[in-house]
Formats: sequence, C-alpha cells, structure tokens
Amino acid sequence: MQEFDVLVIGGGASGLRAAIAAKHAGASVGLISKVHPLRTNSAIAQGGLNAPLGKDDSPDSFAADTFLAGDELCNRDVVKEFTQEASKEVIWLERMGVPFNRDKEGRLDLRGFGSNSRNRTCYADDRTGYIVLQVLHEQFQREQIPSFEEWFVTSLAVEGGTCLGAIALGLRNGKLDSFSARSIILASGGFTRFYLPSTASLGTTGDGQSLAYEAGARLMDMEMIQFHPLVFPKKQGLLITEAALNAGAMIVNQKGESITDLKGMPRHKICLSIHHAMQNGGGSVSLDLRPIGKEKLRGYFPQTQELLRTVAGLDITKDLVPIRPLAHRPIGGIETNAAGETSVPGLFAVGECACNGLNGAGRLAGNALTEAVVFGRRAGETAAKHAAAGSKKSFPTAKVADEEKQLARIISAESSKDSLGKIHSELGHLMNEKVGLVRSGTGLQEALGQIQSLKDRYSKLRVKNPSRIYNYELTSYLELGSMLTLAEVVALAAQARAESRGAHQRADFPERDDTNWKSHTLVSFVGGSGQLQKPVAAG
Amino acid sequence: MQVTFKVYRKDPEKDGKLSRSNYTLEVAEDATVLDSLLKIRDEIDSTLAFRGCCGRGYCGECMMRVNGSARLACTAKVPDYTKKGPEISLDPLRNVPVIKDLVFDWDAFMWNKIKAVKPWLEPEGSPVNGESLTSDAAMQDLRKVMSCFYCGMCDEGCTVLPVDFDFLGPAALTKAYRFAFDPRNKGSREQVKIVEKPKGIWDCVHCYEADEHCPRGIEPTKRIVALRDRAFNSGITHEAVARHHASFAASVKESGWLDEGRLAVESEGLTNVKGLMKLLPTAAKALVRGKAPIPYMHSKRPDADKIKKIFEKAEQEEK
Repeated sequence: MQEFDVLVIGGGASGLRAAIAAKHAGASVGLISKVHPLRTNSAIAQGGLNAPLGKDDSPDSFAADTFLAGDELCNRDVVKEFTQEASKEVIWLERMGVPFNRDKEGRLDLRGFGSNSRNRTCYADDRTGYIVLQVLHEQFQREQIPSFEEWFVTSLAVEGGTCLGAIALGLRNGKLDSFSARSIILASGGFTRFYLPSTASLGTTGDGQSLAYEAGARLMDMEMIQFHPLVFPKKQGLLITEAALNAGAMIVNQKGESITDLKGMPRHKICLSIHHAMQNGGGSVSLDLRPIGKEKLRGYFPQTQELLRTVAGLDITKDLVPIRPLAHRPIGGIETNAAGETSVPGLFAVGECACNGLNGAGRLAGNALTEAVVFGRRAGETAAKHAAAGSKKSFPTAKVADEEKQLARIISAESSKDSLGKIHSELGHLMNEKVGLVRSGTGLQEALGQIQSLKDRYSKLRVKNPSRIYNYELTSYLELGSMLTLAEVVALAAQARAESRGAHQRADFPERDDTNWKSHTLVSFVGGSGQLQKPVAAG
Repeated sequence: MQVTFKVYRKDPEKDGKLSRSNYTLEVAEDATVLDSLLKIRDEIDSTLAFRGCCGRGYCGECMMRVNGSARLACTAKVPDYTKKGPEISLDPLRNVPVIKDLVFDWDAFMWNKIKAVKPWLEPEGSPVNGESLTSDAAMQDLRKVMSCFYCGMCDEGCTVLPVDFDFLGPAALTKAYRFAFDPRNKGSREQVKIVEKPKGIWDCVHCYEADEHCPRGIEPTKRIVALRDRAFNSGITHEAVARHHASFAASVKESGWLDEGRLAVESEGLTNVKGLMKLLPTAAKALVRGKAPIPYMHSKRPDADKIKKIFEKAEQEEK
C-alpha cells in the first residue's frame, strides 16, 4: 500500500500544479497518471493563457470578458478570485522557465485571442499548452514527488461518506495497489472522447468524473460542452488556435466568401455561424490562413503548419483548410467550490474534470490553462491543509480484494459479435448527432434511449484478454464504461435545460431564459442511475 | 483496401520469446497505422499491446518502426507504406528493452536519462518582482528546443546508443541544453557539470544522425556542441578532455596534421602512469599490424607552416 497526505490523480497541467502546491505546503504527495504526464491532453492547448498584465487592462475588465463568454452563468466570486490571481500564476510560470514570447522591451508579449477585449494572452508560439506542461513537469520533478505513471485508477475508496484513497492497476506490473491519502485530488481531465470525431486525445474519457459521481459527488452543468470552431476533422480532430483569427485568418464558405466578421466573437457564436453556413450552403467551410502571411505563419504558428502538413497534407501558406466545429472541452464537471472541494469529504477536483462555476455556459479562449494553474494551486494548498488538520483514517484494505474479484468478473473468454470499438463508435456518432452543437428535446429523448441500449450491450460485453500487463482491452473497457455513464448525464442535463445559453443550444428553445434558467444543473448518482437535482441559482 | 500487418510480439507472461503475428484486415484509404492497430485490437486480437495517446502528432507516445523506419503510428498513413505490396511490418524501436509487443521501456530509453540531467530550472529572482526581462531571441531559441515532443527519433538514430545504452543520448542532452542556456536559470552550471561526466557530451561522435532524424529540426548535435563549448569555456571540463583538446590543437599546429601517438599519450597525461599503461596493449597491437612505424616518427606535412600561420592568426583574433 502507498500512503500520502495528498494523492493527485491525473498528470496534466492542473494535476502537476496541484501536486507542486501541496508539496510546497508541506504535505507528502503522490501522483498517479494513466499516461506519462508529457502525453496528457494539456499538450494540445495552443493559443495561450490569459492574465490581465497589459497597461490598459485590469482584473475587472478580465472578469467582464469572462462573464460575457459565460453567458450570465458564471459564479461571481470564483471569477473574481480567478481574475485577481491570474497574473501572479502566469508570472510564476515565467519565473519557473516558460519561454513566453516577448515584446520589444523584453516583457511578456500579450496577444489578442478569442473574445478577450484586450490583448491579455501570454503565449509560447502555438505550443503554449505543451510548453507550460513541460515546465510544470520540470518543477514537479524538482520537488521529487513520487510519480506513478501508467497506473490506471479503477476505483475510489469511500467509507462512511469520506474518500480515503484510491485503488489503481499498474499497467506495467499488472498489479492492483491501494493508495491511501487524507486528501485526494482528481485532476483527470475531460471526457469529450465520447464524441467521434472530437478534439480529444484517446484517453480523454472522463474516468475521474465517473468515479466521483459513483462515489456520491454531484456533476454540475454537464450539458455545457464547448465546441471548438476551427478543427480539421478527423477521428482525433486537429484544432487550429483561434489566435489565427486574431492574426487575420478568415473563415470562408465553399465559394471562398468570408463568413461575416467573426473575430472577437465567443466560441459558441463562431461555431454556430459555421454550422449555419454549412447547413444553408450545404457545403464545406474552410479556414484561409493565407492573409496572415508566410513569415508570420512560420514564426507564430509553426506547430499548426507542421501538423497540417503531416496529418492533412496541406500547406497552410497556399491551401485552404477544411474545418468544422467539434466537441472540444467540457465546461461542466464535478461540482466544487473555488478551493476544489467536492461534496464528498476528502475528495477534491480541479481543471477540466471539475466545475466551480468559473466558465458558466462558455469558456473564454485562453482561460483553460490559467484555470489549471490558478485552481490547481488552490486545490493543492487546500488539500494539504485538509490533510494536516484531519485525523488519519485507516484504508479499507478489503476493498483491494473486492476490486480483484470485480476485475475477474469482467474477464471471460466468451466470444461476442459485439465489441468495445463498435459501441464506442456508435456512441460517438450518436452524441455528435443528437447531443451535439445544436440539440432538441426529441433528439435528446431519443439519445437517452439509445445510450441506454448501448449501456445494455456494454453490460453483456466481457474482456477477453486475461493478462494484467499492458492490457489495453481492459482499460478501454473501463474507459468506455465511464463514457457511457457520463453520456447519459450530459443528455439528461441537456434535456432539462429548456433554453439556449452559451454552449448549450436548443433548436426548440432558441432563446435564453433568465427567469427560469439562470441556474446550474446538477445530476447525482442514485440507485444505479442519474437523477436530476433541483437546479441551483448561479451566484 | 486489404492490408496485412506483420506485428512483432513478445509476451512477458509466457516464455518471453519473440514471434510475429500476421493480421489481415480491411482499412479505409485514409487510415493511419494507429487506426489499423486499434481495429486489430478491437476486432481480431485483444491481447495486442501498443501505446497511443493524442492520435495526431502532438505527442510521441506511439513511436514504433513502420516497415523498419521509426514513425509515429498516428501520422503514418497506411497507403504510404503499401506501395510495394499490401504488407506492413510493425516493430518496436531498435535497441530498446521491449516489455510487451510494441510496448517498449520509455523509462529506460529516455525518461530516466532526462531525469538524470536534473531537468528543472532554479529560478533567479522572485515572481513578486514580475516577469524577468529578457530578449525574445533567447526565448525563441528555448521555444525551439522545447518544441521537442519526446518522440525519441533522435535517440533511435543515434549511433552511440546501440554500442553504449548508458550514453545519455541526444534527447536528454538537448534537455540539458534547455537549462544550461536559459538566462533565468541560477543553477545552469549544474546541468553542464552533469552532462560533462562520462556518458555525456564527450561521448557523442558527431555523426549528425540525431539532426537528420529530429522531425522538429531542433538539431540536437548543435546543442551538444554548444554544451561542449560551454563546458570548456567555463572550465567545467575533465582534465583528460582538456589535455585531449590541447594536444590535438598543438599537434596540428606544429606538424600540420594529427600525431595520433602523441594524442593518445598526452590525453592520458605524461605523469599518469596507470593511464599510460592502459595504452600499451593497443600500442603493441598497432605495432604488430604495422600501424605504427619503428622508430616512431611523426613528420610535418607539406605546407605545415601555412597551417601554423592560420593557427596564429586565429589565436590573435581570439585575444
């Protein structure tokens, strides 16, 4: 058994920041990640991270833009704290070694990005997420924090309503082990892999949300899925940073005509414009990056240029890039306060898997990475404090044996015509079609029925591979289980919200309804299925 | 299109012997190798182990050999590898410990070596004073180096690693460069000291294969040379290395070409009896094979004086 004051689950930006902060606060810390931290989904963030560092900028102005993007559903106190802390965290990252682009005076260069009304996005070319992730991982290593890489958490240990740790499977040694901790921080990322295609990496399957939900935590605003407007569509879509629009790129229809001026509009509006253009013209929509100019493309968008060449065979200095909006990042997640505390004592959540009300119904471009570091640090510090104050409860060791039995139950040599891939593929298309960018009551009702039948098929499926070592069939099985669980929650919450707000667009309720819906949806796991709770008014 | 994938297999839970499985399947025209592997695992053989993460070239996790060449499975398009026939062979990288099938030991191959260079910055100055002021040129160089996505192609191409697996390798040395050349790093000497030890920068043979292999154009060899210069110029150099350099230069300056016998002796150090003794077997072999004339004479090459003048001019300029 491994024992720590604070156990972090997830090796992306939020998890690394939380681990470093908890260690600084004096806690013993361990981190589990199902992939190496440098392979996590934080690496795909490109555009930058916001901080109100400009002379004409202020936390208040930053807060106003965040609210606007959140379409009146943000939690005021959380936004206030976030916008006040952002600069400090970004400067910390710079001091720790992020080689941000500089202006002529050697200060951090701030660029225009998405619907930010000021130039406030700090960036490292078009690889900001990856470079920030590297620096966080460097500092994580500097702290000598034990890192359990390629360990897959199979369950949380909850007893008497309190979370006491986790049980995880080592992919390399094939063994289950228990991880006892006084505070457990989930920083396990998003779940948009249940859309096919989407911008998510293979492992972005909502494992943490599903574990927390089944352990009694509530899921908030799960219907809010942010779509990214500029994605070259393939199974794992290749997104192009919106900073390209601010730099002069144009979105054009099949005839090469520009689709109105979309610069500075919130993401969901750009997505809707593209969606309508595709439906009305019945044709394709492309991104024309040529107006940016060859030199600037090479200088500021080197990764975009390289990946579109290798993945799509396109030369962005000459070719138009076919795009469509694809599911990008969930805005909803495990309900927490600004300190990352969930409703389950001992359990914390942060980053993409969590929902503290910062993003409301739409996330401002450039806020995701800042959110990861601001609230990662907060969660780490709070978890360390919680660990220091709490009395030590012994880990329920019998749970490991239970888990062994549970895993043994899902392994069987029985052959089946059905497969994980088939179920995932059907789920992915269903979610895009009926729980996608624009939804309707009838579509959502059908989706719920179809998700249920996919769940039935899943429950009959068994894992054929009996090995425990690098058994990716087993981990894919567990991941698909999480995705099905969350797909139902998302559809349920989307069905409940009878209005259109931010990322949630209903064809049958096209207007925003502040009288009835200026509130957060909440779903709990009751008696084996999702149950909507009474919505809570947005703060 | 129908393609047969011939895949390297190793099962650590059985006898651990190597074998190959052939899978024939229908794949889409635009399918990648990773798409095909996922299909094989789902529909044909769920025991097949391989890694995959981002699925589109952002990370280096699915690195493997496709028809013998190191490639990312997620960006390798099937039709590009079936031009000679509908067969594709898939193997783990060369010279790495394989755990299971296509899953090799990234820790031993790269992560542990990167850890060994103390891959973190000790910040100079405090965040309360705001950001550090620095030129974009210095940061641009670091951004280039940090565009490394740890695909391992440079280590795969390295010609030293197959001979000496303990060599730190171009990926880890390039990571060390990132700290040695970051103006904000208080501890930049630390990384130079680490890579200056045996198995570090002096073990690189300058074959430039790493530069040829790097898909991001980071030029690891250039970084290694820069680390060598930094080590030499800041006096963090092994005496033997310093003697080697001095002897090399002196020999060429004086005779116009390299006196290998002198280089060997002077590199070890004239008072280093133990070191000189070690040379004896090699010297004996050289004599037997006629590689060392008796009596040992190293004559000047024609126009050696001109070479000497070049040296003197360069030395003047350096002053």
